[in-house]
Amino acid sequence: MDEKEKIIDGYRAMVLSRTLDKKIVMSQRQGRVGFYTPTMGQEATQVGLSMNLEDQDLIFEYYRDVPLMLHRGVKPETIIDQIIGNSDDKEKGRQMPSHYTAKDHNFMSVQSPVATNLPPAVGAAYSIKYQKKDGIVIATFGDGSTSTPDFHAALNLAAVFDLPVVFLCENNKWAISYPVEKQTRSEIWKKAEGYGMRGVLVDGNDLLEMYKVAKEEIDKVRVDGKPVLIEAVSYRMGPHSTSDDPSKYRTDDVKEGSDKDPIVIAERKLKMLNYIDDQAIEKIKVEAKERIDRIFDEREKIAAPKPETMFEDIFENSNWIIDEERGEIL
Amino acid sequence: MSSKTMNIVQSINSTLDYMMTRDTSIILLGEDIGIDGGVFRVTEGLQKKYGKERVIDMPLVELGIVGMAIGMSLTGLRAVPEIQFQDFIYTAFDQIVNQAAKMRYRSGGEYNVPMVLRTPYGGGIRGGLYHSQSGEAYFAHTAGLTVVTPSNPYDAKGLLIKSLRLNDPVIFLEPKKLYRSQKQEVPEEEYEIPIGKASLVHEGNDFTFITYGSMVPTVMNTVSKNNLDADVIDLRTLVPYDGETILNSVKKTGRVIIVHEAPRTLGMGSEISAFIAERAIDYLLGPILRVTGPDTPFPYRLEEHYLPNEMRILKAVHKMQQYR
Ligand SMILES: Cc1ncc(C[n+]2csc(CCOP(=O)(O)OP(=O)(O)O)c2C)c(N)n1
Ligand SMILES: [Mg+2]
Repeated sequence: MDEKEKIIDGYRAMVLSRTLDKKIVMSQRQGRVGFYTPTMGQEATQVGLSMNLEDQDLIFEYYRDVPLMLHRGVKPETIIDQIIGNSDDKEKGRQMPSHYTAKDHNFMSVQSPVATNLPPAVGAAYSIKYQKKDGIVIATFGDGSTSTPDFHAALNLAAVFDLPVVFLCENNKWAISYPVEKQTRSEIWKKAEGYGMRGVLVDGNDLLEMYKVAKEEIDKVRVDGKPVLIEAVSYRMGPHSTSDDPSKYRTDDVKEGSDKDPIVIAERKLKMLNYIDDQAIEKIKVEAKERIDRIFDEREKIAAPKPETMFEDIFENSNWIIDEERGEIL
Repeated sequence: MSSKTMNIVQSINSTLDYMMTRDTSIILLGEDIGIDGGVFRVTEGLQKKYGKERVIDMPLVELGIVGMAIGMSLTGLRAVPEIQFQDFIYTAFDQIVNQAAKMRYRSGGEYNVPMVLRTPYGGGIRGGLYHSQSGEAYFAHTAGLTVVTPSNPYDAKGLLIKSLRLNDPVIFLEPKKLYRSQKQEVPEEEYEIPIGKASLVHEGNDFTFITYGSMVPTVMNTVSKNNLDADVIDLRTLVPYDGETILNSVKKTGRVIIVHEAPRTLGMGSEISAFIAERAIDYLLGPILRVTGPDTPFPYRLEEHYLPNEMRILKAVHKMQQYR
């Protein structure tokens, strides 16, 4: 893929993700989906990073990483199956919506307790280095998550052991109702220095900028094997989740289609480069909508997982206690 | 005597308000509890009334929330930390187990931690693995922690007032499934419900149901729908549990069924069964049975299969009826 194609492809993934996002939010309002954490506003951050990844790289993602997953080739079906929790869902309908697993694209499994994915990401990087394998580890998290002990432990450990980890802080400026200015007195990217690693700040709202900065940083990680903390600043354009009412605490509303919308910014820049015109944009949007509508309706018809699946995968092999409980309950 | 109809959320909210007005040492801290009023709205309006220094919106760090609450409670304040979901308490576990629980003992009684840690727990809201856990046994297993869980708006008030007057750390577990599921008359004046005192919520002669928290309504519905002649004991306090009420009932009925949502292995049911076996085995007409959540993580789509229900309780009843 040449540069131009690569960038258009990134834009296409952003649109696909936005389309899916809106579909799920609407379906939640209609009672067809239980819960969702919209990713709207973070598309450029994630896609710009993803454009620099290789197949063997491992990703310890968090619940808002749909654009990253879609760009890397995870099918919308996988996302929708998880959201609905149907019997085709890889996780067998066990997790709340937004908690994905996509092993076929080297995505780990999302947990709710924030930042608890970070120390394991460091362990995975150690493992790669120890086994002399190729690839690096990406670990993603929000701005609020930088207050956790897990974040600090992970940064320290990655630096101490010189490990190839890219810590991507997706700073959308909010942790539910709590603004980032109150979360920390220092700038997030600057915390890296305290741990003895590189830190950079990037406009995560701008696809081309994000792509460029992530490229520089990731190239370095691949060469020197040392960690980096990237703080990508964007906006949380939606509520924290479908259960959240931001009108109680938020006045800085960033509307879809405004000049802070990363899709609008990408369109403007891509048009300036003559990579794309209005007609092409329209085509990408229509195709995405048709695709998502079709897939969603189709996946919704898939049955729920069978009750006995609840008792699988506790261990590799079941034991008499679980077997007995299964017998009592089913 | 005037009263108001309230659900559990309103009862806890108004009780916090009542106590904060009277006891200026009470201070609240947690994630999203201020301007947002808490994700379940339990602290709604309190920051507005008492200010940002007394109802503190905290950065995202459970370890810090509980650790700071302990420090406050060591030095003249009575901190009420909220952990947004019990499932997120584990980074604070060290603070709870090694600081709060052991402070009085390790200082030879010189120091104590009058903290009431509130947290919603249990399933029934489609929260999946990480918004549904019932971890009461972790706390009950730790010497020095008082563990309390109300099952209705009336008890929520009395237990909270009492907890806020205790001079030791209390883990105050709020069954989130019941937050808004029932309304009840709650007196406007204050009253305490003693720690360690269960409530006999139904009386009968054939069975003793021992339960607490979110399972109380499930057991009560099963008993009334099926006209079971049974005692139903709502423990209300898990540590120290009310041995006397349990034994009195067991001696009367001889048939014990323990119901809780938490997994079976080493859950509260294990402790209660052992207690009964040690002290009242001669009165038992059949085995002590447990109806509990299974030893699996808490599933999302299949949560109704996880939660103990009428059918499973009746199955235990029928099994018990085979013993005469
Ligand atoms: C350890 C932990 N505490 C609390 C929560 C509840 N919670 C879910 S998301 C969230 C805010 C996270 O903010 P941030 O890290 O900025 O990520 P964002 O949701 O903004 O993408 C909170 C407090 C949680 N999931 N995990
Ligand atoms: Mg955030």
